[in-house]
Amino acid sequence: MSLSPRDPLVLARVVGDVVDPFMRLISLTVNYGQRQVTNGLDLRTSQVLNKPTVEIGGDDLRNLYTLVRLSPDVPSPSNPHLREYLHWLVTDIPATTGTAFGNELVHYENPCPNSGIHRVALMLSRQLRRQTVYAPEWRQRFNTRAFAENNNLGLPVAAVFFNCQRDNGCGGRRT
Amino acid sequence: MLSSAKHKINYSAFSIPSSTSSSLSHSLSQTKNMTQVTMEEVWKEINLASLHQHRRLNIDHEPVLSNQNPNNSIFQDFLNKPLNQEPPPSSSSTHHGSLLAPPATVISFNPHSIDTHFDESAMFGCFGKKRGQDSDESRGDKRHKRMTKNRESAARSRARKQERAYINELELEIVHLKKENARLKRQEEQMQLKMAEATQHQTKKILQRSWTSPF
Repeated sequence: MSLSPRDPLVLARVVGDVVDPFMRLISLTVNYGQRQVTNGLDLRTSQVLNKPTVEIGGDDLRNLYTLVRLSPDVPSPSNPHLREYLHWLVTDIPATTGTAFGNELVHYENPCPNSGIHRVALMLSRQLRRQTVYAPEWRQRFNTRAFAENNNLGLPVAAVFFNCQRDNGCGGRRT
Repeated sequence: MLSSAKHKINYSAFSIPSSTSSSLSHSLSQTKNMTQVTMEEVWKEINLASLHQHRRLNIDHEPVLSNQNPNNSIFQDFLNKPLNQEPPPSSSSTHHGSLLAPPATVISFNPHSIDTHFDESAMFGCFGKKRGQDSDESRGDKRHKRMTKNRESAARSRARKQERAYINELELEIVHLKKENARLKRQEEQMQLKMAEATQHQTKKILQRSWTSPF
């Protein structure tokens, strides 16, 4: 199903800043502990320190997927000149399984911010074949569109994002 | 650009000779009463005519003078341009500063301040009178930066609010749909039971008359 213009991914400009409009083709479930990530969920640094459990849908174990976790608001949302920052890259994930079955090319890092509320997006794309995805040399200035093009990933098939801020932040509100 | 600006001037009530900056400044005082649009074009023309070495700065403030944009976006675009660029060489950095300060007056369409600027326009590449005070520039500069950053973060938090609202709506709808689904399923079960009863009933009574007409 294609994205409605009021879909949180569109409202948050994840579609736009990071990727082009795509269609959700398979399910993507991301859980940090007990908490399932829904679009726009507000999380704190302490809650996302460790890898989440990720489960993907689909029906054919032979289809392999790549999961990318990145943040476009680096170093701060008002001045994102290091856009984007790659937190995690897992490839060769078979459909219906999770990231535990994939190949972690870029290990999980959680550089949650000091200032501002950052969007963190997790995106799933379908690979053509096994081991066709190459990790970039560095994490910052990651460009999702270029990465997808260089690795023949095309548009994502699923995505979810959440808002991350530091632990003693005020949720973006002044008291 | 030059030709279009001249074109606009020619349409005015005053007959204005073309090209030289002195005649233009004279005509400009006459056109003080004309529409702001015309004045902006003329102002643009002066800058373009008098400086080629400051071409980059001209490009910077062209969006300010464009006619189509409303005040807010001109201001923002204009301020965002120098902010996003790499720090320019020192000679043009002061120009940047003076670029930022005078637009506040120009955009408010005050013909008098523009008029005074025109007199000195021939000497400077810049937009407006060169204010020697760095502190003035940087104070205004900082204030403007702060304002745009604030505006952007307000826009972002409004977007976040909308996202939350949408998710809440979806959740409510899910609850509602689940209830209705359960209700409909119950209804279907009951109907099926009745159907089953009815068919059983019918098989029992197969040899009996189901309707008796009243006598």
